[in-house]
Amino acid sequence: MIVAISGLNNRENPAPGIGVAKGLLTGEEPIKGEGIEREKIEREGIKRIGPNSTNHILIGLSYDPNEPGIYQHIFKKVYLMPYPSLGFKEFKARLEYIKRETGIEGIIPTLDAEMGLYLKYREELEKMGIKTLLPTLKQFEMRDKSQLPKFAEKLGVSHPETFKLFSVDELIKKVKELTFPVIVKGNYYKAYRANNLDEAIDHFYKISNEWGFPILLQEVVGGEEINFVGVAHRGQLLGGVGIKKLTTTDLGKIWTGVTIDNRSLLQLAHRFVEETNWNGPFELEVISAGATLYLIEINPRFPAWVHFATLVGINLPKMVVELMEGKSVIPQLDYPVGQLYVRYVEELVTPLHNFNRLISKKEL
Amino acid sequence: MIYQMIIDDNNIGYIPSLGISFQLNDTAREIVELLKQNKSKDQIVEILSQKYNRDWREIFIDVTDFFEKLKIYGVIQ
Repeated sequence: MIVAISGLNNRENPAPGIGVAKGLLTGEEPIKGEGIEREKIEREGIKRIGPNSTNHILIGLSYDPNEPGIYQHIFKKVYLMPYPSLGFKEFKARLEYIKRETGIEGIIPTLDAEMGLYLKYREELEKMGIKTLLPTLKQFEMRDKSQLPKFAEKLGVSHPETFKLFSVDELIKKVKELTFPVIVKGNYYKAYRANNLDEAIDHFYKISNEWGFPILLQEVVGGEEINFVGVAHRGQLLGGVGIKKLTTTDLGKIWTGVTIDNRSLLQLAHRFVEETNWNGPFELEVISAGATLYLIEINPRFPAWVHFATLVGINLPKMVVELMEGKSVIPQLDYPVGQLYVRYVEELVTPLHNFNRLISKKEL
Repeated sequence: MIYQMIIDDNNIGYIPSLGISFQLNDTAREIVELLKQNKSKDQIVEILSQKYNRDWREIFIDVTDFFEKLKIYGVIQ
């Protein structure tokens, strides 16, 4: 399949696109080990990705020529896209052009900011011959951050006390109902911990200036943050992996993590996809505090660490493409527990001409 | 949570449902293993004071301190 993928940023705050692309370009082969290690590998069925590529051709959709993923020799072609804020007319014209040039058959969008457009105009895309695996707008809105307290209750889990704010006056008033520290977060991006009112106001302005309103003010709940990435099709959970982030960057992005076996988290994932009749990728962010699960966020897309799942044998991007192709997919929810994920930095050199060409021609 | 803890050869206790690890010394390991056998605090104190031939009061203080740490880390309620 010729698949377009967005989110090619691969810096300190990586987007999911490169993880999705790596999953699609690589096959699986058993890890070779010796002695006890070998027995363990065989028993647990640990796989690693190998160079035996699948037949997918990948097209990159970028919003910024500085995104490192553009130059990683992963994509056959890369196209600069108009910002989603310009509306669907511009967006559609660009996709029509890309369709004519490359024959793309499917798109895996990975960025929150563009998700609204893809959901709203999914049928238009379908008419253009571009398949997606996405929830409906109604399903998408059910898990919106501002709706989450009500939705968490429906799923039978807790949610930290959260207030929706549109002004600093409201922030000052509502912060008195909580105790510090608190979390100040945007409706789509960014979340900061504030230890006092000054910090809370500072974060309020920083986020609202960049991402607009509403701003969410949330209590901090104690416990361990755990995450789940999954893919569902028409309300059935087809694949997923639970993890714990062990170390994160200053922006809260995973640097090392470990696979976990948490039945409550898995049950929550099942309830979520069944309740919403979910279609497509998703990520659950949860805090486990003793017997209580707090649902913090549900992202309607792959997280940037999706390749972790591929590396432990659950290739979720591949699953999405197979579903877009109309193939039936065997559910895969068993993976080796206690596998450590480690990110690292890589460098590359590419002719400046490539960068210049992308800026001037909008494609590479 | 204590029943889930898997202790490896390096005395690292790992909770597979949450992905968190704890470094234990030999005594902590013994206490965790006794807890997993459903021994009460008093029973653990008695077992350790007999094994190491130490006054139970001294052992009681150390075991109580360790129990508090387990509570702080959410390993026991």
